[in-house]
Amino acid sequence: MNRIVKKLLSNTTSLIGLILLFVFVIIAVFAPIIAPPLFSDPYQIPRMSWDTEPQPPGFPLSDDMIFIYESMGEPIIRDKAIFGTAQGGYDIFYGLIWGTRTAFRIGIVTVVFSMLIGVILGSIAAYFGGWLDELLMRITDIFLSIPFLVAAMVLTTILGRGLDKVMIALVFFGWMGYARVIRGSILCAKEDVYVMAARALGVKDYSIIVRHLLPNTIFPVMVQASMNIGSMVITAAALSFLGVGAPLGYADWGQMVSFARNWIIGSPGHAGEYWYAVFFPAVFIVLFVLSWNLVGDTLRDIMDPRLRGEL
Amino acid sequence: MVNDNKTKILQVKDLKTYFFTENGIVKAVDGVDFEIYQGETLGLVGESGCGKSVTAFSIVKLLDYPGKTVGGQVFFRGEDLLKKNEKQMRQIRGKEISLIFQEPMTSLNPVFTIGFQITEALKVHYKISKPKAQEKAVQLLKKVDIPIPEQRINEYPHQLSGGMRQRAMIAMALACDPVLLIADEPTTSLDVTIQAQILELMKTLLKEFNSSLIMITHDLGVIAEIADRIAVMYAGKIVEYTDTRSIFYNPLHPYTYGLLTSIPRLDMDIEKLDSIPGLVPDPLHFPEGCKFHPRCPFATAKCRKEEPVLKEVENKHLVRCWHFEKVKEEAKKIAFTGRLAVSE
Amino acid sequence: MLSYIIRRILILPLILLGVTFLIFCLFSLLSPMERLATYINDPSVLKNPQSAQRLIDKYHLDEPFPSGYVHWLKSLLRFDFGWSPTANQPVWEAIMQRLPATMELVLYSIIPVILVGIWLGVISAVHHNDILDQFIRVTAIIGWSLPTFIFGLLILFIFYGMLGWLPPGRLSTWAQYIVYAEEGFKNYTYFITIDSLLNGRLDIFWDALKHLIGPIITLSYISWAYLLRITRSSMLETLRKDYIRTARSKGVDEKTVIHQHARKNAMIPVVTVAGMMIIRMLGGVVITETVFTYPGLGFWAASSAQQLDYGSIIGFALLFAFLMVVGNLIVDVSYALIDPRVRLE
Ligand SMILES: Nc1ncnc2c1ncn2[C@@H]1O[C@H](COP(=O)(O)OP(=O)(O)O)[C@@H](O)[C@H]1O
Ligand SMILES: [Mg+2]
Repeated sequence: MNRIVKKLLSNTTSLIGLILLFVFVIIAVFAPIIAPPLFSDPYQIPRMSWDTEPQPPGFPLSDDMIFIYESMGEPIIRDKAIFGTAQGGYDIFYGLIWGTRTAFRIGIVTVVFSMLIGVILGSIAAYFGGWLDELLMRITDIFLSIPFLVAAMVLTTILGRGLDKVMIALVFFGWMGYARVIRGSILCAKEDVYVMAARALGVKDYSIIVRHLLPNTIFPVMVQASMNIGSMVITAAALSFLGVGAPLGYADWGQMVSFARNWIIGSPGHAGEYWYAVFFPAVFIVLFVLSWNLVGDTLRDIMDPRLRGEL
Repeated sequence: MVNDNKTKILQVKDLKTYFFTENGIVKAVDGVDFEIYQGETLGLVGESGCGKSVTAFSIVKLLDYPGKTVGGQVFFRGEDLLKKNEKQMRQIRGKEISLIFQEPMTSLNPVFTIGFQITEALKVHYKISKPKAQEKAVQLLKKVDIPIPEQRINEYPHQLSGGMRQRAMIAMALACDPVLLIADEPTTSLDVTIQAQILELMKTLLKEFNSSLIMITHDLGVIAEIADRIAVMYAGKIVEYTDTRSIFYNPLHPYTYGLLTSIPRLDMDIEKLDSIPGLVPDPLHFPEGCKFHPRCPFATAKCRKEEPVLKEVENKHLVRCWHFEKVKEEAKKIAFTGRLAVSE
Repeated sequence: MLSYIIRRILILPLILLGVTFLIFCLFSLLSPMERLATYINDPSVLKNPQSAQRLIDKYHLDEPFPSGYVHWLKSLLRFDFGWSPTANQPVWEAIMQRLPATMELVLYSIIPVILVGIWLGVISAVHHNDILDQFIRVTAIIGWSLPTFIFGLLILFIFYGMLGWLPPGRLSTWAQYIVYAEEGFKNYTYFITIDSLLNGRLDIFWDALKHLIGPIITLSYISWAYLLRITRSSMLETLRKDYIRTARSKGVDEKTVIHQHARKNAMIPVVTVAGMMIIRMLGGVVITETVFTYPGLGFWAASSAQQLDYGSIIGFALLFAFLMVVGNLIVDVSYALIDPRVRLE
């Protein structure tokens, strides 16, 4: 483990990844200080005005809104939208800062749960073999027969809008890769002498799995998981972008991009007028995914030295 | 056994092949000389990593990157191969000089049929037609004692056993009746009974084809029955070079002596088998003086400082050692006849 | 070979059965009433509990598991996928009408990647070409971290917003008028780029192409990255194999060594990646078409999802699952074509 940490720190790309990741963690942790919430639900992005079209960075809180807040008895904490506002007057800066928390939540929760399901099913299939293995693997095949994004989109649509629904959908269709990996490596490890020995001594099945097989096979799965966090966040953002993800006004990066969709072209004669509406959300998403990918790629290099140096 | 009146097929002179790696220059072959006559077999012996394969690949100029032959000459029928360009070399490879490799598993292409691979050299060099090639493939497989060759030619390498694959490799190498065969540890990856069969087969075929052979191996036992002369290699250099008989009855180099004591013998207990202590030195950090001295029981202060040269100390018996006389004394105490007796 | 393909095709119905069952399970998460809504084109019927119950019975929507599934499956076999309020036509019709647009986009994305991508990957492994290597490295990094919807918006922003070259949609208004309304324009394939040429309308061909380029790039950039990368590294690895040296030792010339001995072996992992790529593309279609308001299946599916048009979204999922199963079949057969170890198993 020490060796891995050292490797991660000594490699430039993974170091960049780790630094980026650290910055995002800071943003997520200190979100209430960086962008103090106005409502009891901090994930509700405050609106700076009722304008339909986006407003440029530095746009001040509109009189309408000041009036509303005053009548609600709320203190006015911020009077400017640093990154501008998205369609509907939503504060882009606020949405991105709190969206960082959303991104971490989606990434980590979905990956942990799908890994858990995958590990359980995969190790059962590999350990017991026979018809159970056959059955579980066919089920895996069937789950893999619907394109991931399509499957997630269908399930979220059926379950209804909401971040929890998105996460359920991502977990429901996201465990198969782990199941296959863990099954493969357990099948290899199973042949090893120490498992045979444990069996011969009459150790119970589940404790063979938990004590002997998993510790030796879990690491490749963890690497795969860390690399999947980025793609889970992308998929969740894509669902929001398609309008089936986070509810309207929820602090979510995908939603911020979908706000920008209609304005990307600009108005006649002012091409790119609303660049900020897509630029800032895009930067957040891309850097977040990049940071996980950089770290994950280095982990994979450490795991599989054969791939090192290939690109 | 050695007949100087025969035509000289190959003469390697002061061959030097280095690998220019990131960590430094690896002198894999560093000044090797030997020659082979028509119909003769030369054994090239040494532990793994001492430069045998690189010597072979240098002769046919099939070195891996970053290897480069930096000096010497390789006269093949009087012409220096090192002066030839790639196109001229291609006309020699597979037609006049062919190779047999160690791993029949990985040396055959998994996606082509045996028949295709055996006759490829024929197609390349003689442009023969397809039905002719089929016919020839069947003949060749018959020669190497593969049963039902008509069926085998349409099969793929993974459908054959290891021994069968090596037979197919031999058939492939013999396709164009080469003048010189280079077999790089052809039996190493096979189990013992199959090893013996393959060796027997090679012996028969050599006689039939009257080809010369360079037989590379790390096992002196393998070579006793097939080689006319033996060159013992260590750390990129030849340390002893003479006829097979003398190697076994009269070894003069402590490395040869060590190799001989590690051959399993019928008249000796397995337990008494002692291999040479220590490891082949790291080619990036060869020791000073004689490269064998760290492992040599005869080593003295001189060995640590000065590297001996290869010189003829007895009739046609070359050795690279300061203390060959001591070795001779020591070796006399044990007669290494167990193996040789078989072929006599 | 033939027996392998036949065996492989015989499994197809089983997988499809499994997939339909999975989708039926998802569908069953909806109440019978919600499911009923996918079958009727007049929502006012739902207001009357009695007539609604009659219809629920008619469509077997509240029957217990096996019979409900069987009835649903039967309706699928009759191509009765329900009604799409989003498209205002039956789901099956909506699918068939939009399929050509999507196929045109997908095929134009896949074919160049496979042909040119593999070729470029081989070239870059054989000759150490700095520009090509750099290109592969850059596409890999972009492909890796730029989500499709952001990449697509970027393309739209630059090539439409800034430069005005690549407009969204499938055709300009004037061309739509000719293609869909005019008597003289005949549809042979429903691929506009092909039909326009067959009708001798270069102007329409050019217009369709301009609309396609953005979506094609967006849908395929990730695949370029993956395929180039895997082809290159697989080729490099294969060229180090022992059997390559064997081929050279027979006097085979370098061109044959590379294009015959090495390439065929190097294609084995490439096929795997190409298969994954096709799957990614099927998902990517939804996003790409939405970004470019390209009127295909994906755009329709996204609109249906937003409007909770369950019938359409289920029909779409069934179709894409079917396409994916067929895609996997093609991948497996390609494997067998390349690798005798697979087909002789
Ligand atoms: N491609 C290569 N790059 C660097 N060094 C190499 C390469 N191939 C062989 N060598 C070096 O050359 C030496 C001799 O190798 P080889 O001829 O394969 O030994 P062997 O006698 O077992 O056949 C070894 O020390 C090895 O490290
Ligand atoms: Mg070797």
